[in-house]
Amino acid sequence: MPPFEVQRTSDLTTLTVRGSLDINSAPALAEEIDQIVASRPGRVVVDLSTLDLIDSSGVAALVKLYKGIRNAGGSMTISGARDQPLAIFKLLRMDKVFNL
Amino acid sequence: MAAPIRLSVPGTLRYRPIAVRAVAEAARLVSCSVQPDPRDPSADPLTIDVRHPFDTAVVSAFMEIFNNVVIHAYQRRGGGMIDLEITLANDGIVIEITDSGRPFDIDNVTPLPTDLDEESLPEGGMGIHIAKTMLDDMTYEPGPPNLWRLYKRLPAAQVAVGRS
Repeated sequence: MPPFEVQRTSDLTTLTVRGSLDINSAPALAEEIDQIVASRPGRVVVDLSTLDLIDSSGVAALVKLYKGIRNAGGSMTISGARDQPLAIFKLLRMDKVFNL
Repeated sequence: MAAPIRLSVPGTLRYRPIAVRAVAEAARLVSCSVQPDPRDPSADPLTIDVRHPFDTAVVSAFMEIFNNVVIHAYQRRGGGMIDLEITLANDGIVIEITDSGRPFDIDNVTPLPTDLDEESLPEGGMGIHIAKTMLDDMTYEPGPPNLWRLYKRLPAAQVAVGRS
C-alpha cells in the first residue's frame, strides 16, 4: 500500500498519509503537495488516521500544504490524527490552528 | 541497571529506520508497553508502535536528533558513523548519540514563536524544540566527537507499579 494517496471529487481533495511521515518520506510527499496546490482545490482534508509516526520534516510538509492551499484561497483540515502525531502537533501548538 | 545497548550505523538517512526501531524497542522495554499480538493477522510487523506516552517522547526526540546529526554534523554526505549507547533503568532511559562530524551550534537555535497562528506556522527549525520538550533532560557536548545525551524519566506512578 503506498504511503500517500490522493482522492479527488468535484468539491473535495482527500490526502491520506500512512505509516511514517519523516525526513525520508517527506520529499516524496512534497511532490504530491506541489501537484495538489497547483490544482487549486477548494477544500482539502488530510487524513492521518493511519499515520503512526511523524517528525519535524513531516510537519513542515503539511504546513507547506496548508499555506499553499490557503494562499490559493482554499481551506485545509486535518482529520484522524492520533497518538504520536497528535502529540507532536500539540507540542508545537499547531493543534488549534489545524482544529485537532 | 542493565548493561547498555550499543549500535553503530553509518551517518546517513538510509540507516535511520534501523536506529529508530532499536530506540523504540528499548523504550518499550522500560515502559512495559503492550506488544502487538503476533497472531493478529491485522497487525503489521513493520509498524513501530509508540502509542505509550513514554515511547512517544523517547522516539520523537531521538528521531529529531538523528536527523540533526545527519544534516548538520555530516552535511547529508555521510562519511562517519553514528554511535548509540542506550542505557535502560527501572525509572527511565538514557540515550547517548556520538558522531565525528561538524559541531552543532545549539546556542544559535531560534526559539519557536510562542503564539502560533496561520501566518507564523514554521516550516523548519522545529527539531531541537521537539526533542527538548519531549525529554526531561538533553545535553550536547560539541567535539569532535560530538555527544548528545537524552534522558527521559518514567512517570513516578508507573515506576512504583513496575516495582510492586
